[in-house]
Amino acid sequence: MRIGVLWNKLADPKNIPRLFAFSLGIILIAGLIVPMALNPDQLYVKPFSQVQVDKGLPLAPYDRDGDPLVQPGNILPQFPDNVKSLGMVTGYMSPLAQFVSSVSPYFGTSIYSSPGGLIDEILYYTRGFDTILESSILMMSFIIASWLSINYTMNRRNDENEIKKDVKKAVNGSINLANEVKVNDAKARSKQLRRDN
Amino acid sequence: MDFITLGGDLLGVIPLGDIVLYLTPFNLFLFAVLLGFTVLIAFSKPETQVEAAKFNTLGNSEVKVGEKEFRQRRFLSIICGIASAGAMITGDLFNFTLFMALVGILNIGIVSAVKQTSVLNSAFNYGLIAMMCSLPLFGGAAIILAATGTLSLEILSSMPANPMVVFGAVLMLIGILGESGVAPFFASKAEMFRTPGSPFIVIIHLSSLFIIVRAVEILLLVLW
Repeated sequence: MRIGVLWNKLADPKNIPRLFAFSLGIILIAGLIVPMALNPDQLYVKPFSQVQVDKGLPLAPYDRDGDPLVQPGNILPQFPDNVKSLGMVTGYMSPLAQFVSSVSPYFGTSIYSSPGGLIDEILYYTRGFDTILESSILMMSFIIASWLSINYTMNRRNDENEIKKDVKKAVNGSINLANEVKVNDAKARSKQLRRDN
Repeated sequence: MDFITLGGDLLGVIPLGDIVLYLTPFNLFLFAVLLGFTVLIAFSKPETQVEAAKFNTLGNSEVKVGEKEFRQRRFLSIICGIASAGAMITGDLFNFTLFMALVGILNIGIVSAVKQTSVLNSAFNYGLIAMMCSLPLFGGAAIILAATGTLSLEILSSMPANPMVVFGAVLMLIGILGESGVAPFFASKAEMFRTPGSPFIVIIHLSSLFIIVRAVEILLLVLW
């Protein structure tokens, strides 16, 4: 393929998301062979996996100890000068959450009925990444919906101007066709005449 | 690489809890220029375009921006200017990606009320890219966070890079490329601002230019 053809394809907005998705996919596949290791030096000290589960803690794997406003949880602040005010609400759970955690051993793996500790924990781990992701996806879905409504749902078929345009196009098309037939006819006749002579 | 080689002397830091802003002449200059441009936009009026004559009518038709649309666009472009100014001065990797995503959403918002279908069509395609970009942008920042345990650029600049950080940076890079519409992904974004209302449309272009400059600095800080 000539490079000019390629550039022309790149200039069409329709092809850009596909190209982007393709290159992103390639990078993500390449990411599979990159060695991944969690840095142990994190904001929240992460216990060794399965330790809390084996202990039978209902909050596993998110149990951080700590008593709200009395004793801070088990954390490792990035900026040590903030250490006094950090971790005081890590252990907070709403009454409903306390009830559920006393009943179910799997509370730590779900985030329902917990406005305090656990959601705070997850948000802190992700620094709010998840909320941003969700809201941006919501925004984009609105855009897609509006594009669909503009292009398909809006009642164009019964629009008078649209009908007039279509009729004009059809008339022009048939006139062109008739002209073409005429021209071909004339050509064929002249050919026949030449042959006859 | 550290700040001194990239941005000049470190003029000071603004500690806001976990988020530490740092001030260098480079950042301050970008910040001030963008804020100045935003102020200019706040007081300007949109230009009008003249479209070539249609068939079977004589004379050109003017394409104007209506009062309501003008207000909406001005509001969104001011927010866009402030968001990109914030991206210039932030000292936190996550905040940078956040501002970046915000700029992408606002860019679509600025052209969302345009009446040309071709512009809307390319805005839709750009929206698809912006949606995909949230994965590499936030994913890249999250991978860097997981690999180093911090998002502060001040600390990241003094840390050695390992393969995981490099991968995070590459992910962020492709996110930035898509979001700001550079080289192979330019078409949808270039088509987006073929519409009247110039100073507001130009902020789409300007914000992505500035963000690219800042992204280069951030990637250098993270990688070296």
